Amino acid sequence: MPTFKLDGKTIPFEAGETIIKAAWRQGIEIPHYCWHPGLSAPANCRMCLVEIAPKPGARPLMLDVLQWDAKAGTYRTEQKPKLQPSCYTPAADGMEVLGDTSEHVRKARHDVQEFLLLNHPVDCPICDQSGECKLQDYWLEHGRYGKRMRDEPVHKPKAVVFGPTIVYDGERCVMCTRCVRFMAEVAKDPVLDMRERGNLNEIIVAPGRQLDGHYTFMTEHVCPVGALTTKDFRFKARVWFLRTVPAVCQGCATGCNAHLDYDPRYNKAHRYRPRDNEKVNQFWMCDEGMLSYKAAHDGRVLDARVRGVAVSTAKALDEVKALFGDVPKPSIALVFSAAHSLEDNYALQEVGAVLFGSSLAYTSGMPEGYEDEILIHRDKNPNTTGVAQLAPDAKSFQTLLDDVAAKRVTHVLALGGAAPAAADALRGCKLVTVAAHDGPLVGAASVVLPATSWAEHSGTYVNAKGIRQISERALEPQGASKPAWRQLADLATALGYKAPLTKLKQIRTQLLGSAVDAGQSALATSAE
Amino acid sequence: MEPAYVDLDEGELELPADPMHLNLGPSHPAMHGTVRIVLELSGETIVRADVQVGYLHRGFEKMCERGTWAQVFPYVDRLNYVSPMLNNVGYALAVEKLCGLAVPERCQWYRMILGELARISDHLTCNGAMAMELGAFTPFLWFVKAREMVWDILEEETGARLTHSFGRIGGMASPPTADFKGLCRAALPKILHLVEEGEKMLLKNRIFLDRLENVGTISGAAAVALGWTGPCLRSTGVAYDIRKAHPYLKYDEVDFDVPVGARGDTLDRFLVRLGEIRQAKRIIDQAIDRMPDHGPINCDDPRVVLPDKLDVYTTIEATIQHFKLIMEGAKVPKGEVYSYTEGGNGELGYYLVSDGSGTPYRVRIRPPCFQITGGLSTLVEGRMLSDIVPTFGALNMIGGECDH
Repeated sequence: MPTFKLDGKTIPFEAGETIIKAAWRQGIEIPHYCWHPGLSAPANCRMCLVEIAPKPGARPLMLDVLQWDAKAGTYRTEQKPKLQPSCYTPAADGMEVLGDTSEHVRKARHDVQEFLLLNHPVDCPICDQSGECKLQDYWLEHGRYGKRMRDEPVHKPKAVVFGPTIVYDGERCVMCTRCVRFMAEVAKDPVLDMRERGNLNEIIVAPGRQLDGHYTFMTEHVCPVGALTTKDFRFKARVWFLRTVPAVCQGCATGCNAHLDYDPRYNKAHRYRPRDNEKVNQFWMCDEGMLSYKAAHDGRVLDARVRGVAVSTAKALDEVKALFGDVPKPSIALVFSAAHSLEDNYALQEVGAVLFGSSLAYTSGMPEGYEDEILIHRDKNPNTTGVAQLAPDAKSFQTLLDDVAAKRVTHVLALGGAAPAAADALRGCKLVTVAAHDGPLVGAASVVLPATSWAEHSGTYVNAKGIRQISERALEPQGASKPAWRQLADLATALGYKAPLTKLKQIRTQLLGSAVDAGQSALATSAE
Repeated sequence: MEPAYVDLDEGELELPADPMHLNLGPSHPAMHGTVRIVLELSGETIVRADVQVGYLHRGFEKMCERGTWAQVFPYVDRLNYVSPMLNNVGYALAVEKLCGLAVPERCQWYRMILGELARISDHLTCNGAMAMELGAFTPFLWFVKAREMVWDILEEETGARLTHSFGRIGGMASPPTADFKGLCRAALPKILHLVEEGEKMLLKNRIFLDRLENVGTISGAAAVALGWTGPCLRSTGVAYDIRKAHPYLKYDEVDFDVPVGARGDTLDRFLVRLGEIRQAKRIIDQAIDRMPDHGPINCDDPRVVLPDKLDVYTTIEATIQHFKLIMEGAKVPKGEVYSYTEGGNGELGYYLVSDGSGTPYRVRIRPPCFQITGGLSTLVEGRMLSDIVPTFGALNMIGGECDH
């Protein structure tokens, strides 16, 4: 592999790769605003300028500059090397690049930073970006100067509503055009553009349009400053109070990697941020996915229920005993859920197939929905592949409805409230549901046991491509909910069996064996 | 900490013979702060004294590990709470040593003056309180009146009489007030005059002298072996003063003497402290003359020093600087450092470990009192019960820094 040197460090690169990208792959950040690994490079912010040593024997590329000579009291013409944008300059074998070590580069970064903050409003205290803003980070790293301009800054439109999800602040904008390029290149909907020039520059939406579609949140995500904010997160939380865990989006079978940001003080999830994973979602997520963090709190089953009435979990288990106690256990049908983790489904299999000896297996999950060519999958379940691998013989949900209608099935133990169709027909049978969210199977159930959502336990999900990924636990269990696998183990105990599963680790070992490591390494490669 | 149980049969009528056990403290009018001494007495003679510290333990070192480096200042105020400014300056110097920072000359003089004022306040409190515990209430009033004058200056400068929280990494919270030098020049002679009047009442008093002389005697070698520093060590004749031995700030540029005792008894400790008050005045006088009236008080490094408040409200650069320093804290370079200064009671050391973040990884204090209190039992064993009061008083144990 060819290599070049950046500040004396040897950096390998693939042919055609730019300097900044090769350095980024090695975990070295050359400061930048407009460059993004997933977008084209316009080289317009000038923050990533580097000094490239001339080839041996070649004439150095120099630039005339005026330098103030205090002694003579006049300006002198001096020369300095012409700096190159590292986001646009392809790396060449044996190239010598100077970044932090070049006095000219440091000066350039300092000056670029000063220009970018020239008209910036004093907004940090009210800006949602503060705490994760590149302007703040780079000022401290490369700027560290006081304001010199004494004029009134240029004012631009603030709080411009771009669409149903995004609000724009022209004064905070550094005109990196990441949002413009994202909409054009990734979302394939070039609805954003710039108008005017110089310090009157601003981002606009195409006349007659608004910023809508399925990928508007990503414009906020790529924004390195606080110019674009989402209506969803605006003024809701300060980022330094949030903690984050690596999670997997539950919105569809793509299984996008995400950071789930939550406030531990209030046990509340606040937002998703895409987590880079080249194999799955690159750098992006869709709007529906970005908003699906809300499912950690909305539409939850937090209490045990007996025929729709909230009761204690112990009472509900008594009711399960009354319903299931006398029937031959192999006649209890099992309904796996593609909306639940592999661990939960495995627990259902252990309890139902192994303890009860049941061979009546069905699957359910969310109904299918919108799909596109970019990220959004038709299948709205995070774990369809996993369930198919675990219970390959499970029949469809429609078959369950038919079997119940024909009285071939009278007792059902179901995982998950979601179902691809109305489940009123199941009211005719004795249905026990372990569920985190409301859904047809919860409505039709005789007994409901509350389960934790994906945000409250660590779970494994297999996406449509067959990649096994772990979503880590963020929140404390809410209400009376427990992980579904634990509820199922308790249910087995209530029915007089010795609970086979007591620890998540035990399930993981039995279920995945050495594959646990493989799953984690899939996570590891997704790290930013 | 085991309680001193004595297995007494409740039915027994006769008084217990030797040894008699007595609990002194942890809350006792003659105890400085909260400390407990479990005594084994033979009559009035102390056979064994078990000094038990820890009643003022607040987890100071652990608390420091969750805020920013700058948020440690209020905690160090509460170590030796009769000379908080010395703790402030000591901690600031430690962090600056780790950062490789040097504060401007004006700030160094300012820190010295405030520190020496705090030392005067420390010694006045110690000597005054010890005399009071021996029944001499009037000198206490004189000394405390002088201390009030010190505190008036400190209040004028910092806004607080006791817990100033005035030190900052790379400088001080604010520059000297316009009349700072005038205040010092006016107050110091008055303070010295009060000290003289107070000591006249004591040093010509036979009862007072009898209770101090040859009480709590310790040799220089024994004191060094115990790890003693400060006035208590110097009372034994060992002239070890960090300001002389390892000068910091501008102590190598001023003239002052190190008062030492001869016998290492309680009276020597009393006299050494009185001598140090006079030396502190000498230092302050010179520092006032040499401190520039103008110039920066904080070093010019935006990575650690807060910007001017007006700029924070009006310019984005200062807002960012302020935000970064407050929310994330000044990033102290990765490494570890031991920095030590002459505190009110001796060597006040800070051992700091930084992992390069804005929060201390470890803050370890070496409080002078801890070692000194460790020597108390050897000083009083074999003496009378009443000797504990002056002996312990002159050691000036401060629970806030001892219990860490």
